[in-house]
Amino acid sequence: MFRNSYDNDSVTYSPTGRLFQVEYALEAIKQGSAAIGLVSKTHAVLVALKRNSEELGSYQKKLIRVDDHLGVALAGLAPDARVLTNFLRTQAMSSKLVYNRPIPVSRAVSSIADKAQANTQEYGKRPYGVGLLVVGYDATGPHLYEFLPSGSSLEYVATSIGARSQAARTYLEKNFDNFGSSTLDELIVHGITALRDTLAQDKELNSKNTSIAVVGIDTKFQLYDDDDVVPWLSKLDTLSRASGAIPTEESTEAEQPETTETTETTETAETTEAADASEAAPAADDSMDTTE
Amino acid sequence: MTSIGTGYDLSNSVFSPDGRNFQVEYAMKAVENGGTSIGIKFKDGVVLAAEKIVTSKLLVPNSNKRIQTIDKHVGVVYSGLVPDGRHFVGRGRDEASSWRSTYKVPIPVPSLADRLGSYAQAYTLYNSVRPFGISSIIGGVDEDGAHLYMIEPSGSYWGYSAAAAGKGRQTAKTELEKLEFSSLTAKDAVKEAARIIYLAHEDSKDKEFELEMTWISASETNSIHQFVPEALLKEAKQFAAEATSPEDKMEE
Amino acid sequence: MEQRPVNWGRPRDDIYGAYDHNIHNAAKMPTVHTQQPIVTGTSVIAVKFDKGVMMAADNLASYGSLARFTDQERLIPVGKDTVVGVSGDISDLQYVERLLEQLEIEENYDNDGHELKSSNIFEYLSRVFYQRRSKMDPLWNAVIVAGVEDGKPFLSYVDLLGVTYSSPTLATGFGAYLAVPLLRQVVDKEGDEDNLTEEDARKLIDKCMKVLFYRDARSIDKYSVATITSEGAKLEKNVKCVEMNWRFAEDIKGYGRTVA
Repeated sequence: MFRNSYDNDSVTYSPTGRLFQVEYALEAIKQGSAAIGLVSKTHAVLVALKRNSEELGSYQKKLIRVDDHLGVALAGLAPDARVLTNFLRTQAMSSKLVYNRPIPVSRAVSSIADKAQANTQEYGKRPYGVGLLVVGYDATGPHLYEFLPSGSSLEYVATSIGARSQAARTYLEKNFDNFGSSTLDELIVHGITALRDTLAQDKELNSKNTSIAVVGIDTKFQLYDDDDVVPWLSKLDTLSRASGAIPTEESTEAEQPETTETTETTETAETTEAADASEAAPAADDSMDTTE
Repeated sequence: MTSIGTGYDLSNSVFSPDGRNFQVEYAMKAVENGGTSIGIKFKDGVVLAAEKIVTSKLLVPNSNKRIQTIDKHVGVVYSGLVPDGRHFVGRGRDEASSWRSTYKVPIPVPSLADRLGSYAQAYTLYNSVRPFGISSIIGGVDEDGAHLYMIEPSGSYWGYSAAAAGKGRQTAKTELEKLEFSSLTAKDAVKEAARIIYLAHEDSKDKEFELEMTWISASETNSIHQFVPEALLKEAKQFAAEATSPEDKMEE
Repeated sequence: MEQRPVNWGRPRDDIYGAYDHNIHNAAKMPTVHTQQPIVTGTSVIAVKFDKGVMMAADNLASYGSLARFTDQERLIPVGKDTVVGVSGDISDLQYVERLLEQLEIEENYDNDGHELKSSNIFEYLSRVFYQRRSKMDPLWNAVIVAGVEDGKPFLSYVDLLGVTYSSPTLATGFGAYLAVPLLRQVVDKEGDEDNLTEEDARKLIDKCMKVLFYRDARSIDKYSVATITSEGAKLEKNVKCVEMNWRFAEDIKGYGRTVA
């Protein structure tokens, strides 16, 4: 027997009906830095933490515009995210061309989720190694969807993906009742407050490592980086970090292994993480390597 | 499953010495881990219901629909790996639309079940793919009346008066067997479906869940697959909650 | 000397190059697509009024000048608040009808609260017609899409050439000459429809259909009227032209008593 385990490929079920390769792909998301999405009755917001590999290197892009009404945040393998967003862009363009209608957010997400599913059912393919938060505004209002390599897509009021994202979710779960009626500014501040909870103890949010994107009623998808995020960061500074400290503690406990990993890789660029992710996968066999 | 680990269960399309395809059996395990779904046939139609486990309170309530439409007159609900289900439904839609373009009539439900059964079966034949991790319940109304089928990961399918899949399958089946199908009206079927999903959920009571229901009926929906109207859904939920409350269970 | 008789009388390869056998194998006739409609429906007319749109088309399908089928419905409802009126080739009408049905089925796949608006359906149809004309294989129709979108009436035209335009009054075929002037007497420009009630619009439509029946030899005195408001689309079938007077016909050569 040249192989004797259930986790070599995504066309083998374990005796309990699980697909380990797909579950490992979900782990790849946690290698990326955190991204958070939230919606109010009128707007959807993405915030994300950018990393840079070295002092002189640029920060890895985390938020990508797809269309005037649609954008994504990514965590995990950035090249996979680019493939998926390029596909989303063609879908968005074709919806505009054929129907003169901005593509409904749910259908945009379904289109990539269906692609992802195909990669979990055929030998010689690998699941995507990236999670996306897709936000958009369409005829049925603002939306936030989480896309996963398993091919699942779920709509959330607010959620987070990436390293130490549990800490952010703890904040979101405590506060999501207020999001619906929030103004755009309040929603963004909620977002970066949650994002701050994903940081290692000695790190702070600043204009270099924070990305913000908004979309909503009468608001085209707009990305804010560098100096443009300062107005919101300054609102954050007036709040005491202690407010976020309690959830952070809880989550550090809950996610011990992930936390240690994160501190190790915080300074690592996403591209090198791509390599890390495949190495980290316990059973990356030959077929896996050729696929990459 | 005594042969686990002997190597015959590592690849799809391989028989073990005693003639089993383990990967298909493992796919059925994936089905058993999924939320319960049921289908009930009544006089002139079918009701489909799903138990949706709420995995996070951050999820948007009543979004993330689980019951899907294959064609105007056919709906489907499944238990197991949800993304697999979406793939399977996609194939069903392709079959239905190609039937329409060839014959200029809606696909008869038995023909659809047959084609989808063959599709599922094809995924047990090759080591380059894995079987579908879903059992799907297909309900529809055509010229010959109402039909209900359930397709399993192996590709085998049967017609049913009522079918159940997923975690609460056993509980649901026991309840379904008590129904009197010949006299069941559309509205009664909806209420019973709700009650049975509520009952099947008892075993995983620690988890929150949402009930999702659709129906197709010649008299109630003009043979079009659609969600059960809000008012009736509410009524059914109330009926289900009362029927499964502790006092009532004592009486039963 | 060329030894093979098959090559006798052909241009010599050493002078003219190798013989192109595609010439020999070419089909007897070039590939041809639709060059004319076969069974046809005549005008579709439509007008906006204060709360919506009204559209009408008669029930005749002609085979040349023969009144072949007298029960052809040419107004196709799509979704809740759009109706597509089709004139021209009836088999292409049936094809368009199936395209629209599949479109509607696919739109309802996900039960996600999204619906195709009239303008979406119109955009789709205009793409189909333009694509077909660009393939030199047109769908031989002129189509009017009528509906209500965000509370406002929507009315647009597209035809076999892929040409599109919008106006508060529209008509295809003979209707463009005979009905549009009558419609414009009431609704001349954008905004005039605000002064036209549903009741008056209905009378206007009847008047136009009657004139069309008088003067268009490919028409019949039985038609359907679609009224689309924000409450949805309503389709009146088997409406008859009434209060007609054909006495003048007696003086027309070859029609009444006057012969030769």
